[in-house]
Amino acid sequence: MNLEIQLEKYFAYTSFRPGQKEIITSLLEGNHTIAMLPTGTGKSLCYQLPGYLLEGQVIIISPLLSLMQDQVEQLMMNGEKRVIAFNSFLTADEKNHALLQLHHYKFIFLSPEMLRSKSVIDGLKKLHISLFVIDEAHCISQWGYDFRPEYLKLGESRDKLGKPLTLALTATATKEVKNELIASLHLDHWNEFIYSVDRPNISLVVETVESYQEKSERIVELVKRLEGPGIIYFSSKKLTEWMSAYLREHGMTRVMAYHGGMEQENRVLIQQQFLHGQLDLICATSAFGMGINKEDIRFVIHFHMPLQLESYLQEIGRAGRDGKKSVAILLYSPGDEQLPYQIAEAELPSEVQVNAVYQYLEMNHHMTTNLASFEIDIRRISGLTETQWRIIRDYLVDQKELLLKVQFQKLTLFINERLQVKKRKISEMHLWICSQIQQCRRKKILKYFDEDMTIEVENCCDQCGIDLTVFDLKISKHQVANSSYNWKQQLANILLVSERSDEK
Amino acid sequence: MIILQCLQHISGERTIYSILHLLNGKKSAQTIQDAHLFKLTNVFSTYPLLTRSYLDEIISSLCKQEYLAPISEQSFLVTQKGIKAIEAYFSRHPIPNHLNGWQFHKTTKLFWERLSLVVQVISQLRNQESKYLPIHKKRELQKWLKFFLREAHLSRDELGDRLYDELVKCLEAHPNVNPDIFVKRLTGFRQIGLTEGQAAEQLCMEKDEYHLQFLGILHYMLEICEMKQSEYPLLNLLIADRRSFVPLTETSRKTLSLLNNGYSLEKISTIRKLKRSTIEDHVVEIALNMPSFDISPFINDEKQKVISNAIKTATSKQLKYIRELVPNADYFEIRLVLAKAGEKK
Repeated sequence: MNLEIQLEKYFAYTSFRPGQKEIITSLLEGNHTIAMLPTGTGKSLCYQLPGYLLEGQVIIISPLLSLMQDQVEQLMMNGEKRVIAFNSFLTADEKNHALLQLHHYKFIFLSPEMLRSKSVIDGLKKLHISLFVIDEAHCISQWGYDFRPEYLKLGESRDKLGKPLTLALTATATKEVKNELIASLHLDHWNEFIYSVDRPNISLVVETVESYQEKSERIVELVKRLEGPGIIYFSSKKLTEWMSAYLREHGMTRVMAYHGGMEQENRVLIQQQFLHGQLDLICATSAFGMGINKEDIRFVIHFHMPLQLESYLQEIGRAGRDGKKSVAILLYSPGDEQLPYQIAEAELPSEVQVNAVYQYLEMNHHMTTNLASFEIDIRRISGLTETQWRIIRDYLVDQKELLLKVQFQKLTLFINERLQVKKRKISEMHLWICSQIQQCRRKKILKYFDEDMTIEVENCCDQCGIDLTVFDLKISKHQVANSSYNWKQQLANILLVSERSDEK
Repeated sequence: MIILQCLQHISGERTIYSILHLLNGKKSAQTIQDAHLFKLTNVFSTYPLLTRSYLDEIISSLCKQEYLAPISEQSFLVTQKGIKAIEAYFSRHPIPNHLNGWQFHKTTKLFWERLSLVVQVISQLRNQESKYLPIHKKRELQKWLKFFLREAHLSRDELGDRLYDELVKCLEAHPNVNPDIFVKRLTGFRQIGLTEGQAAEQLCMEKDEYHLQFLGILHYMLEICEMKQSEYPLLNLLIADRRSFVPLTETSRKTLSLLNNGYSLEKISTIRKLKRSTIEDHVVEIALNMPSFDISPFINDEKQKVISNAIKTATSKQLKYIRELVPNADYFEIRLVLAKAGEKK
């Protein structure tokens, strides 16, 4: 079979990106496959194309709702209607209805907790599963920041489904994580395709500034001189808005904020404006970027430090997908590491909260059999955020047979352990930023992922020496005059004239 | 500013939170009656996302500017300075004439979502580009879109032409309507519409002002659709399934149908297993919204007259003051007469 012809037939691409063809071939030959491809190099194609070429259904397990939604949309945009996502957005009716229709779908996305449902497993058993995909497979690791306890059960579910052909996908994983993955999936033979996490076309820069104020001023300088488009990442929703307003005050008109707290309609508009070149710069939280296939992003700036090197790589990986030179600049001021520690702690339930839930459940024992339906009450008495609540709920669901007291003792241990892991991740990130030892930043990242650096990179990082002028604007930005705006003309452009004919 | 004006309308007779309920569009009997009584139906449900804490912030800033003076913990009066500020502001930025939150609060959002989606889809179809991200992702909307494209009975080119004609005609029909406010928000093939904040900035308006102007245009379009159905077939098709002539809550509608079947209030209260006072709330709501609704089965003409006179002489519209003047009337009767009086203006 000529894979290139198939690629063009289904996706209208003429060539594969590095790794894709090898991974797809391995699957088509019937091998379980573990694939590590860096962010932004087209991981989803690795299951989509085989999905079309193999008979039967593709099951994709994906831990993040937004990621799942993005992938579903991408497939639909590509004209594929046989897609369904089983997640908490689905009502019980919709779920039951979809379960009866399962064989009509080609791509079935599931959140890991959905695999716990007997009706879902029974429905899946009736299918001919051509491929079982685990996306973000690093979530299986207890040593990772994003550990999902439900992922540990994936091997069990996979066994129930008759050990179908399996593909585990991830962007970043250490050796340790990979071994855990193999063990929990109960794989006995497999092919692995490990590609470097390195993106040699992205230069890495850390700049230290004295204060918050100086940081903001430096941002203005940078975005004025750098060739766009670009993204600035923040850990705080409020700051994204503040900074985009600040930049507009400083004369940059094509800047907007983006974060998960915005209304859906506005989020879509901003994202699309950026994609279509109506905006040059987005001030965003990490919610921005997933599923955005913009090839020509030239710079990514971090206003706050990410909580782990993996996230850092993922976020800077949104630059330079077209392979052209791009730059990642992280701005650090002393004390910045406090914020990630606070965020990490706030993601987990506190001891006081756990205790409150425990006392409450001891008094209302009937609730323990169906925790999810008492969410509102439990969250009200304990003040848990949604993320915190989910951690408690998911943990307790797995421990049902134990005494409540024992369950909570184990839960407390579990939470402490998670906090330690998260803190370790942050200190690794901090060390990478602030280490006194003069050493290539790229080399240090690669060492963290057990890789040896093999190629020399020009303009590699601030430690190796870097010339930022390479990334400066080539032609000065021209302001688009808005004065000629005419609503009737605009309406006609949208509804009447075919612009495509003008381009030819 | 709009909050200050609302406070002027209620002139200290309700707490500031009644304004919150009103702008949020809370459908309680009290809020609905307030909207009519204080002639604030136009702004009903225009800021569904306004929060209590944000309102508190606004109030304290208005107090600092001495536009407001407290009369009790949660009630305020607009000062002379405040009245001047209101006049100055609204003479430059008038509230759109067509704003009619009460009548259209149920359809406005849906109308916009459907219209903007239809515009985008038609634009994409005409440019033969099927790969795009719809600006609205709700499944009901996607389902509805299929229905619309089928019901319109037009080719994609005709659809674009006709919709363009209808929109231009509608937007040009009234000199007070600024079409920019609306058109800048539309998304089409390779041109993405602006968000509310961006459009406001481009038009040099404050966000809240822009918001009202935008709603004003949508309400204007809805109004014109309703009045001239035959001239705007496509725009009408957008809301064909949502047209109801009298805006009533579901529960009041049920009460109304029982009333029409000749049941007494007591009987309805037993049938519906609701408190008598709740049923009374429904009746007041119906009286507010149906000019044709006759209140004489609940209160005789003579008593109506006495109460109307009391309302005219009472300096305040708070029920307890009116009741002092007509001690033999109960609150239900006073509210009914008030409902009718408010409607006659």
